[in-house]
Amino acid sequence: MKVRKTLALPSRATLLGSAFVMAGLPAMAGGDLIWARYGDIDSLDPHRATSTLSMQVWDQIYDTLLAFDEDGVARPNLAESWEVSEDGLSYTFTLQEGVICHDGTAFGAEDVKFTIDRAFGDNPSLTRTSWGPITGVEVVDDLVVTVSLDSTFGAFLPFLADSFSSIVCASNADATDFGTRTAIGTGPFKLVSWVQGDEAVLERNDDYRNFGKPVENAGPVHIDRLIVRTIPEPQTRLAALRTGEAHIAEPPFDDIPDIQASDELNLVVAENTGQNVFWQYTVSRAPFDDIRARQAVAHATDPEMAIEIVYGGTNQREWCPIAAGVFGNDQEFCAQYGYPYDPDRARELLAEMGYGPGNPLETTMYVWTGGNRHILAEIFQAQLADVGIQASIEIMDIGTMNARVREDNERTGTDAPGTFNMMTWGWYDPDILFALWHQGGAYAGYQSDELDAMLELTRELTDEDARLAAVQDVIRYLMTNAIHVGLYTPGWEWIFALRPEVEGFKVGAFLHPMFQDVRLTD
Amino acid sequence: MLRFIAQRLFAALITIWIATIAVTLLIHLVPGDPVRIMYAGFQTTEAEIEAIRQRLGLDQPVWRQYFMYLGRVLQGDLGHSIVGSQPVLDTLLQRFPATLALTVSALIIAVVVGGTLGFFAAYRRGTVWDFGAMTLAIVGVSMPHFWLGLLLLFLFSMTLGWLPVGGSGWRNLILPALTLGLATGAVIARLTRSAMIDIFDQDFVRTAHAKGLPKTLVLYRHALRSGLVPIVSMLGLQFAYLMGGAIVIENVFAWNGVGRLAIQAVFARDYPLIQGFILFFATVVALVSVIIDVTYALLDPRIRYGT
Amino acid sequence: MSAPAEPLAAEARVAPRRVLWALLRSPSGAVGLAIVLLLIVVALLAPAIAPYDPYRMASGPRLAAPSWDHWMGTDQLGRDVFSRVVYGSRLTLMIGTIAVGISLTAGLLLGLIAGYAGGWPERILMRLVDVVFSFTEIVIALACLAILGVGLINAMIAIGIASIPFYARITHSVVLVEKNKPYFEAAIAAGASHLRLIFLHLLPNVIPTLIVVGTLGVSTAVLAAAGLSFLGLGAQPPQPEWGFMLSSSRDLISRAPWMMIFPGLAIAITVLGFNLLGDGVREVLDPRQRAR
Repeated sequence: MKVRKTLALPSRATLLGSAFVMAGLPAMAGGDLIWARYGDIDSLDPHRATSTLSMQVWDQIYDTLLAFDEDGVARPNLAESWEVSEDGLSYTFTLQEGVICHDGTAFGAEDVKFTIDRAFGDNPSLTRTSWGPITGVEVVDDLVVTVSLDSTFGAFLPFLADSFSSIVCASNADATDFGTRTAIGTGPFKLVSWVQGDEAVLERNDDYRNFGKPVENAGPVHIDRLIVRTIPEPQTRLAALRTGEAHIAEPPFDDIPDIQASDELNLVVAENTGQNVFWQYTVSRAPFDDIRARQAVAHATDPEMAIEIVYGGTNQREWCPIAAGVFGNDQEFCAQYGYPYDPDRARELLAEMGYGPGNPLETTMYVWTGGNRHILAEIFQAQLADVGIQASIEIMDIGTMNARVREDNERTGTDAPGTFNMMTWGWYDPDILFALWHQGGAYAGYQSDELDAMLELTRELTDEDARLAAVQDVIRYLMTNAIHVGLYTPGWEWIFALRPEVEGFKVGAFLHPMFQDVRLTD
Repeated sequence: MLRFIAQRLFAALITIWIATIAVTLLIHLVPGDPVRIMYAGFQTTEAEIEAIRQRLGLDQPVWRQYFMYLGRVLQGDLGHSIVGSQPVLDTLLQRFPATLALTVSALIIAVVVGGTLGFFAAYRRGTVWDFGAMTLAIVGVSMPHFWLGLLLLFLFSMTLGWLPVGGSGWRNLILPALTLGLATGAVIARLTRSAMIDIFDQDFVRTAHAKGLPKTLVLYRHALRSGLVPIVSMLGLQFAYLMGGAIVIENVFAWNGVGRLAIQAVFARDYPLIQGFILFFATVVALVSVIIDVTYALLDPRIRYGT
Repeated sequence: MSAPAEPLAAEARVAPRRVLWALLRSPSGAVGLAIVLLLIVVALLAPAIAPYDPYRMASGPRLAAPSWDHWMGTDQLGRDVFSRVVYGSRLTLMIGTIAVGISLTAGLLLGLIAGYAGGWPERILMRLVDVVFSFTEIVIALACLAILGVGLINAMIAIGIASIPFYARITHSVVLVEKNKPYFEAAIAAGASHLRLIFLHLLPNVIPTLIVVGTLGVSTAVLAAAGLSFLGLGAQPPQPEWGFMLSSSRDLISRAPWMMIFPGLAIAITVLGFNLLGDGVREVLDPRQRAR
């Protein structure tokens, strides 16, 4: 599978970012690196959380069978090679020899079986749908394992490069506190301790070997320890960076121009984040059961203007329901079916529905906390008010928002007006659309047998061109029906400010930070 | 004395017991289906929701759920949080030392600053000093403590760069403790002043004066000692307020205590964690008030046990 | 947070006009009254006072420092901070009235009933009130918000509910004193009905104390609501609620300190006003205090 990479990030920031890939300067051995982030890991169990913040730490503790290269293409990693059966229903992986789990046990086929069985067990993985139609895992020998599928699955290999498929060593089975105090993997760092909401301390895994991640260092990391600290307040994070209490942190957005102008700190901008921010609606009841109401919201809001005000040039307008850089994303194709800013058209649609100056459409917009999104929401709120949509804003945690959206769609027999929300998903493949929109999907939203059939096809096809056509059919359907209206692709949250002594820090495709090459110079 | 302690402990147990009922009711007062609200995450199927309902016993009648909950609480099991499914009690205990450090240091600051100010104002009653001290106190009482925190943060961390922010070392404790301590100190100053005025007016102090005892001796031996009694008696309530105030202050300074955890839990509608927090908070406040009541009884020989 | 008020002595009943005069003569009462009146005037005349629409974006440049055009500067969307602070007074008054209204009414009824009934209903009711009181207001408010969900109205209700035990305790203690007075015993002897006893004899004697407590209670409610909004659990955008404005200033504290300073000052002055007024009323109504 091929992933096309589109880059339209601001050149200033990109230039600064690339300055950091330089290596080879005299470096101090070891040292503790402190990485300050706006939120914490939800769980160290890769089957119990979905947040990007969790995934970014799993990446340091666990490893995956495949790994994304710089362009986001899945390459061999823990799996040295694989064979796919003629019918596409069975994958046989040959694993690397001599890999050792953090507890000293040898890594092998049993660990892969343990992980997959666990993902489909009594308390299955939160993302088990995305694992695909797996029917069984068979250990052929210590280093060979076969996974059988019920039907062909085009997103299977990329999934095995994503953190959700992190290989959990079988020795975790004996731990009662797996996911909180125990997390045995084969990744570059071992877990020392984790105090939720405060910090996770990881130490170098001296047995680590890198096979497929796009870094130079194939052996253990250079630093002694990685301390992942939670500092929710942006100003506090910046202060911590300046005083040396942190080495890497997301800077407050409003301070980015100052940081760019000074030599005090450096910036690395994540590219190819796979993240997509979009409108979606409670389609099960009024007013958003009517396509005109959904279209009116889309036409009434101007994401280009809003992201310019709030994020300067660091975020891009996104027309598609999947992020730039993900297979199937094509701005030109999507723009044909998109909803350009057109307040007059929005007013017309509302008038057709019987709304007018004296009778505004009343609804609620959900927004999730952080990332200056509340300011973005206030701009949208004002734009909506302009055409006669009175939207009150509710700000909540992303997990709550996920639950609320689903709850709203499932709630029946109520007169309360439906809501709409500014949702964000980051994914490495258009298979996210299956997870979101297939019946019984994440939000119990739009229900259509026609759409279901189209989505199923995107999974079953493994031929690249055929799959692309199928994905575009889905995109067209989602957009013309105003089910999933793309707004922008976030960049700023994934700008990392670094102290000058940090060298070799990289963020791979789909937001996988890599510390393999990191050194602390004096 | 033992009987007195036993009575106080019994009262504390009643408080904790009522808290268990309150938190069980909490989950049933939430509009909608608790399981769906809490667990219907990404890719959860109907069958799984049903399984969760059974596993948590939420398909049972309320009274039965209550006894199941009580049984688990007695074994120290407060359930698992929704976000990251961690044991609630462990999470709370892990965070509590930070909150305790904050509240105890704030209490010390509050008593020292507030007590001194109040005592001084009472001693110089009616003078400009009294007026000045009480003006300061009422301004302190009226200031939102999170605003005071922001001002201190702006001044000491952002502008002067003297103190660090956001971390767990003792230097990071200075600003939050100062904020909470000064805010509470203002309340204590007002209470101390009126308590001390009562004492200065009492006969034994006047008599001591009349007998010609040195002024400082009267102050220390008589007035201050009896003044401690009403001050200690109000510390119980003040401690509860400090714990409450800590919830906000921890969020201002990213101090990683149970208060910050509680706010995160409310945002995430993590009901097991919210329940656990309320129960934990009630227990701590109840036990601290027992300790303070007992101290009070020891300090004041006139107290009649058993009232 | 205000000092718990003690019940006032019975002699507290004074003619309203004399109260006002006495209030104006006490320094704290006069200053408090002036601040509260100013707040009410600002709230009523907000459209006339505010130079800009508090919701309009780009009333000026973004994050502009205080100037002749924008006395308190502008926020990150170019809205005029002064106009927002002015309009915020309306929300603050609403919070004070609604929250205290809820807790005062419910607390008064609970306290009257418990105190009047006596015996085991009183013991159970007051024990319960004591227990709930010991949970502290913020925790009760958090529990209420966990049930109701976030929002300014819900925050007002939560604060109102959270303070009920406080008012119930005060009312109860006043009722206990009044019940043992000769006039009340005489009324019972004369065969007055329960309702008559409660509402004609007890209630008027509870009112003076509750005026003091209620005035101080407004300041507690305003502080609590600002705190909840600051935590993101109360007011939601674009409401110009002061606590919420403070919370959105946090990310910009070094770039635009005016966004943090003025709303905070507005809260502090308002709360100070109600505290001073409460103190003043107490001094006037309670001769014991006045003697000091």
